[in-house]
Amino acid sequence: MLQQKSTYTDYRNNAAIQHQFSPYADNGGSVVAIAGDDFVIVGADTRLSAGFSIYTREQNKLFRLSNTTVLGCSGCWCDTLTLTKILKSRMQMYQQEHNKTMSTTACAQMLSTMLYHKRFFPYYISNVLVGLDEDGKGCVYSYDPVGHCEKRTFRASGSAGALLQPLLDNQIGQKNMLNVKEEPVTKEKALSVIKDVFISAAERDIYTGDSILINIITKDDVKVETFQLRKD
Amino acid sequence: MSSVLCPEIPAPGFSFENCRRNAMLEKKGLSIPKAQKTGTTIVGIIYADGVILGADTRATEDTTVADKNCEKIHYLAPNMYCCGAGTAADTEMTTQMVSSQLELHRLNTNRVPRVATANQILKQYLFRYQGHIGAALVLGGVDSTGPHLYSIFPHGSTDKLPYTTMGSGSLAAMAVFETRWKPNMSEAEGVKLVRDAVGYGIFNDLGSGSNIDICIIRKGTVEYLRTYDEANKKGEKQNSYKYPKGTTAVLTTRVIDIEEVSVRRLDRVEAMDTA
Amino acid sequence: MFLTRSEYDRGVNTFSPEGRLFQVEYAIEAIKLGSTAIGISTNQGVVLAVEKRITSNLMEPTTIEKIVEVDKHIGCAVSGLIADSRTMIERARMECQNHWFVYNENMSVESCAQAVSNLAIQFGDSDDDGAAMSRPFGVAILFAGIDEKGPQLYHMDPSGTFVQFDAKAIGSGSEGAQQSLQEVYHRSMTLDEATTSALTILKQVMEEKLNSSNVEVMTMTPDKMFQMFSKEQVEEVIQGIFHVEHPLSLNTTGQKV
Repeated sequence: MLQQKSTYTDYRNNAAIQHQFSPYADNGGSVVAIAGDDFVIVGADTRLSAGFSIYTREQNKLFRLSNTTVLGCSGCWCDTLTLTKILKSRMQMYQQEHNKTMSTTACAQMLSTMLYHKRFFPYYISNVLVGLDEDGKGCVYSYDPVGHCEKRTFRASGSAGALLQPLLDNQIGQKNMLNVKEEPVTKEKALSVIKDVFISAAERDIYTGDSILINIITKDDVKVETFQLRKD
Repeated sequence: MSSVLCPEIPAPGFSFENCRRNAMLEKKGLSIPKAQKTGTTIVGIIYADGVILGADTRATEDTTVADKNCEKIHYLAPNMYCCGAGTAADTEMTTQMVSSQLELHRLNTNRVPRVATANQILKQYLFRYQGHIGAALVLGGVDSTGPHLYSIFPHGSTDKLPYTTMGSGSLAAMAVFETRWKPNMSEAEGVKLVRDAVGYGIFNDLGSGSNIDICIIRKGTVEYLRTYDEANKKGEKQNSYKYPKGTTAVLTTRVIDIEEVSVRRLDRVEAMDTA
Repeated sequence: MFLTRSEYDRGVNTFSPEGRLFQVEYAIEAIKLGSTAIGISTNQGVVLAVEKRITSNLMEPTTIEKIVEVDKHIGCAVSGLIADSRTMIERARMECQNHWFVYNENMSVESCAQAVSNLAIQFGDSDDDGAAMSRPFGVAILFAGIDEKGPQLYHMDPSGTFVQFDAKAIGSGSEGAQQSLQEVYHRSMTLDEATTSALTILKQVMEEKLNSSNVEVMTMTPDKMFQMFSKEQVEEVIQGIFHVEHPLSLNTTGQKV
């Protein structure tokens, strides 16, 4: 919009002007995770944005905390950077203090306490922690910004979370369907559903797009895969 | 005394004078209307033989895409089209209304309406509503005086330009024009330029997306190229999401017998009363 | 001896020219005055047995508490200055709870010992972390616990040094008891065997005659975790001692019986 701005220099004074500073930014992004009996898959889009602009089309939002634990973050990117940096050091400190690698369950609890410690100035992140538990079973933990933790088998979070969760409830949770066989989700099915839901998210959520980075965690290794999405 | 020419000097800082009133009104049940911002990339250029308009086709509602293939190039007159950005309802209603006014004008004067006339009607209308009608327009057309291109802002100010962009993707699109636009371009060159400008908006502005519509207005002819280019191919799904029969629960079933209905044809048709 | 030490045996933060911290060494001496405690670790679990010195028959024996629960999966036997031990046990309990709170898992026995060790060496000058203890703690601790590595026994002395043991004795009768433990201990020992052995050895090194009110016994097993023996249970074990005493044929040379 074209505006003519007058400054009225003659009338400038030193009266107090109210300013508001927001310490948070919403950089968008979505994370989807699906757990199976002996694997867990997590995917996050690689678009980092603010307002109507894109900062980068290739931002990894998945953080490898151990050989069996991965954290997916979306929300305020600067908070994500800080939190994951602290998490990384906490993982190392635990390793050194207790002579073992932190388990996924321990990590899940630690993340919860770390988030709650900033109860009144929270990290503005929706976290999804995935990994294999002590029995090698896949698990997904999802968090709110102040540390509420819920264990589940599938989760969509971030800017397109509300769009995708019902789809996962139906396709993975087999909700609202009659005559369906209850069978454990296979790795192939989980992987294809993750790709498909991101295709849908890119259609309707402006903060989700460009491509997705997928981590497939099994007891043997963590496989990384990428998948292209629309870029508009 | 305060007037448009001599406005009152605003007090420094924010004004909170209406806060209590608004709070009271809200308490009484009045919901304060939410400002709706629709991201868009609309562009227009003048080339050798006329005007080329371009637009993306994404309509957004906050951060979700409401329409993946909407029309943003509106018809005003046979020789004039107008791209709209801003509040979808405002751009549509405004262009429709002006379109009807132009048609009446044509009937009254028996002349092809001029682009300047449309511009005048639009700016006066928008100014009357002091920016509350959120329509940012790119008006283009060819009349007896040649090709014309205007950009019109929601408050009623207008610019007459050889190339222009509007909407949230305007900066991205303008970057393309500023580097590549030159006078007297050929039609092929012009279409390519407009396509690229809208494309830059689509890819670099989150408010713009989907396809590219183009409208070429020459002296005497118009070519409206709806979905000139699909900037993005939709991803291909890996699975089928068809539900087998019987997946949806039937809660209750009720069968209603339809009574037999007989149809009788009247042989003698009565004439319509035209008296 | 006294004269050569006099210069260096006062400050806890001054090494002697030979490189010794006398106050720490004295503290280690102090625990040799404490009541005897024995711990044996087996594949089935860990047993702790301690002597309670009932110095007067007007004393209420149950108020002497030398075996304590730190967490469901860790128990401790202490010997030395019991008042000091309270502070250390408090720290052990707090660290275990904190570990559970932060990680939602049981703290390993080694980590628990490490945490208490950190407290044990915080004597000397006060710093930003607050007022420090002015002297070393005069306590030796046996940690009996079960974690992902199975049943474990750790010993810690006033210097904060902690070492894992299959079987360990602390306190006044520790020297003789340790020797006996060395002889009876074998890898395939059952928990019952260990309990009997612990009490047998305790009986041998105690000045008082061993009975159900002047000993405390506790077992740590994977299914029942921390289990303090009742008076009746202790009596039952003592009964058993007399039956197996001769077959066991402990080398008790030089030990008071």
